[in-house]
Amino acid sequence: MKIGTPKEVFGGENRVAMTPDSARQLQKLGYDCLIESGAGARAGFSDALYEDAGVTVVKTAAALWKEADIVAKVRQPEPAELKRLREGQTLISFFNPAANEEGMEAAKAKGANVIAMEMVPRISRAQKMDALSSMANIAGYRAVIEAGNNFGRFFTGQVTAAGKVPPAKVLVVGAGVAGLAAIGTSTSLGAITYAFDVRPEVAEQVESMGAEFVFLDFEEEQQDGAATGGYASVSSPEFAAAQLAKFRELAPEMDIVITTALIPNREAPELWTKDMVESMKPGSVIVDLAAEKGGNCKLTVKDEKIVTDNGVTIIGYTDFPSRMAAQASTLYATNIRHMMTDLTPKVKNEETGEETQEFFHNMEDDVIRGATVTYKNEITFPPPPPKVQAIAAKPKEKVPELTPEEKRAQEAAAFKAQTKSQVTLLAVGAALVLGVGLIPGMPASFMQHFIVFVLSVFIGFQVIWNVAHSLHTPLMAVTNAISSIIILGALIQIGSSSLLITLLAALGIFMASVNIFGGFLVTRRMLAMFQKS
Amino acid sequence: MENAFTIAAYVVAGILFILSLGGLSGQESAKRAVWYGIVGMAIAVVATLVGPGSGLGVVSIILIALGAAVGYQLATKVEMTQMPELVAIMHSLVGLAAVFVGFNADIMINYIGNMYDAEGLVMGAVQADGITAIGLPKELYDGLSSFGQLIAKKSSVEIGILRVELVLGIWIGAVTFTGSVIAYAKLAGRDSKLPVEIDTSAKQLPGGHMLNAAAAGLSIIFAIMYLGGSGSWTLILLTLLALFIGYHLIMGIGGADMPVVVSMLNSYSGWAAAAIGFSLGNDLLIVVGALVGSSGAILSYIMCKAMNRSFVSVILGGFGGASGGEQMAVEGEQVAIDAEGVAAALEEADSIVIIPGYGMAVAQAQQNVAELTRRLRAKGKTVRFAIHPVAGRLPGHMNVLLAEAKVPYDIVLEMDEINDDFPDTDVAIVIGSNDIVNPAAQDDPNSPIAGMPVLECWKAKQVFVSKRGQGTGYSGIENPLFFKENTRMFYGDAKASLDTLLGKIT
Repeated sequence: MKIGTPKEVFGGENRVAMTPDSARQLQKLGYDCLIESGAGARAGFSDALYEDAGVTVVKTAAALWKEADIVAKVRQPEPAELKRLREGQTLISFFNPAANEEGMEAAKAKGANVIAMEMVPRISRAQKMDALSSMANIAGYRAVIEAGNNFGRFFTGQVTAAGKVPPAKVLVVGAGVAGLAAIGTSTSLGAITYAFDVRPEVAEQVESMGAEFVFLDFEEEQQDGAATGGYASVSSPEFAAAQLAKFRELAPEMDIVITTALIPNREAPELWTKDMVESMKPGSVIVDLAAEKGGNCKLTVKDEKIVTDNGVTIIGYTDFPSRMAAQASTLYATNIRHMMTDLTPKVKNEETGEETQEFFHNMEDDVIRGATVTYKNEITFPPPPPKVQAIAAKPKEKVPELTPEEKRAQEAAAFKAQTKSQVTLLAVGAALVLGVGLIPGMPASFMQHFIVFVLSVFIGFQVIWNVAHSLHTPLMAVTNAISSIIILGALIQIGSSSLLITLLAALGIFMASVNIFGGFLVTRRMLAMFQKS
Repeated sequence: MENAFTIAAYVVAGILFILSLGGLSGQESAKRAVWYGIVGMAIAVVATLVGPGSGLGVVSIILIALGAAVGYQLATKVEMTQMPELVAIMHSLVGLAAVFVGFNADIMINYIGNMYDAEGLVMGAVQADGITAIGLPKELYDGLSSFGQLIAKKSSVEIGILRVELVLGIWIGAVTFTGSVIAYAKLAGRDSKLPVEIDTSAKQLPGGHMLNAAAAGLSIIFAIMYLGGSGSWTLILLTLLALFIGYHLIMGIGGADMPVVVSMLNSYSGWAAAAIGFSLGNDLLIVVGALVGSSGAILSYIMCKAMNRSFVSVILGGFGGASGGEQMAVEGEQVAIDAEGVAAALEEADSIVIIPGYGMAVAQAQQNVAELTRRLRAKGKTVRFAIHPVAGRLPGHMNVLLAEAKVPYDIVLEMDEINDDFPDTDVAIVIGSNDIVNPAAQDDPNSPIAGMPVLECWKAKQVFVSKRGQGTGYSGIENPLFFKENTRMFYGDAKASLDTLLGKIT
């Protein structure tokens, strides 16, 4: 099988889907690697480096597409590239299937199998091929660097002989992969970093990166982020309003704002309004990582850097990963290589016991199935939900804090209820006892015993409630031993003149005695074992 | 004759018994408390022997000594894991003794009745005051044993009450007897010493509870006939019916509910003793019977509450048909892990909670658990135990096992004490427990155990489950915990698994 990577045709795209390193790994899986001449040049990988790694350099794109059984590339294929697809060929690339109906139709018509890298499900097993995350990571880092490039001051605060420099204040909106990368970069450069996300459960991650999480004074049942595959979902209008109010409050203080808020398959939400931009200090920088989807700030111009009238720079580049082509290519090529590993399972031959490794597009596999958008002349997008779902811990239901008055009222009510139930019980009990006493002809001798009985039950209930849980087994053993008090009955009876009575009583004595000694001894044994550390 | 000394001794014994139960509120005071119980019992027996029970005193002492020998053997030989069985089988002895004593009372009543007849008198006839019995002529009266004298001086109303009491005593005693024997067999499982093998799952004869109800109804009819003077044969039939009820009732209860059953039988044996106490006019029997009876009742109540089930539904057997809808299907897969993985996770963890269950007892793994605890504690890690109220087959079973293995009791905590700490726990290790850590009890309203309080171990960062295989365990309920993302299954016999684990942790 041959796996080939053409030169990216999209203008300004510097990345490449195969690096010399990844090619070596792919060859280990048993693939022959092809690369179009000059494909890696802009990412810093010359043809010579590829040849050293054992990759065949092909002169033209046409020849490569023709020769390769599997084509791996970065950008969503152009119409010209789609035309080159052929029956049974596999294409691994970003594909943007949600907005690329024509692309899928073309691939379907050609009979090619397309694996869209952005469709890799977000489950633990598939993290190693999650190209969106690796690209987002680069974008987050680059966003801070780009902001620093356009920001006229230090990130970190300094006190120097030439005066005091205040630290820069950075706000990161959206704590996804890109957001977290931006937070990490920003804090390590020394800026005071704030971060916001609609998913309160990421607060911990944000804080672990050294930033401060901006909490809203807003109570809302948030949809479990994990239920949407770890992505943010649309929030309610009230929530959005509370969020904007908070941003408006923060805007004048912030030097750098990096917005990364994206909702899958939707226009980016507007989070940084015109008036916020206007309230910012001159020289401040906004980096809008959502520019591709319309931007979190409406002033953003896609792929351009603009300066507003009040001196705020707004960066709307969409090619951050491409701007760091060497790094991005390394990571992306590794993602592709992991995808190939999953596509090349080891199969054990039952008879010979030999292990063979062959390309196998397994549509039963959650990850591969999820990422495949066309397969054997069928469009297989959107995929069914994955079988394994990452379930995050459910947010604890917060018990509302009670005010002291409420607490007191509650206690009083509980006390009343307790009194009531106790009085009722007492009344019923007393009535029962009196009722027994009122039965005509009830002999006083019985009543005397009856009193003893009732009082003993009462004492029993009082005493047993205090027994420690851990001592329940010894309690049973002890009660078992003392319930052998029945021996007294047998002892009284044994002296009878009737042989039968004597016999039965003797048996009774014997059994009860077994119980007395067994019960007490076993209790002692148990109790002796309980030790303090 | 019950003289003043005997009664005084009974008062002392009674107080000692109360103190003995009350002392069980703490581990240290419990050690003293058990001595109170022993002394109380000694005083009671000695006082009876020198007082009303002096007849054939030598025989009595020999019998007590014999019983002591057997009891000593039982108590010293028993494994701590077999404690539930031992307690169950001991209850059966009390039940049987109560039946015998009850029958003796009946025989004695008939005997005295015959004496009255022979004298041409009517038993229970009263004097002019309408209360005091006329009684037998002096020389005959003096010839009777003390128990005979007691009955001979009763009026007819008193004899009627006496009969009610002995019917109750015999009935409860008989139910306790067969019930305990069956409970023993179910708890012991294959190790049962009984000649017949008894299925540990809930089994009932065709007819189910109707059969029990019919037997109970018949018992009442026989009891009324007996009180109406139909003779002792009704009493014997009644006993047979009670024996059947005890057998059939407990047969219908699954092994998982045995903690409730054992404490219920404990309660019954107390009530039987109290009933017999009434018929013998012995206050100490009444006092102790009432103490034991209420203790067992409270234990049963605690157990039921811990399982969120009503007492009635446990006694009527099986997991009730309360669930209306489909149970939630469990998604995901059980991921296995080997000893190295567990060891590595334990090395990194700071706080560890171990949740033992019946599986630990079955595998006799408590020593290994204790050794693991010692080693982890030596490394400065916080190790604690979380005990669910119904873990094991007897209330407090796990505590006893851990104590046997010398796990200090102050790191062994109850469910309520530890449940809030799970989110801050690095590793939770579940050893042979299942239902008590089942999240379905909280998440799935249709689960048979919905609403039962459970140990929320899945909130820990990582959960290891030591389990024999993929089965559903005693109650047959699927456990979603095993399928959670942070759960790893550590398959194998608990003892063997822990052995390999101990090899990895030094």
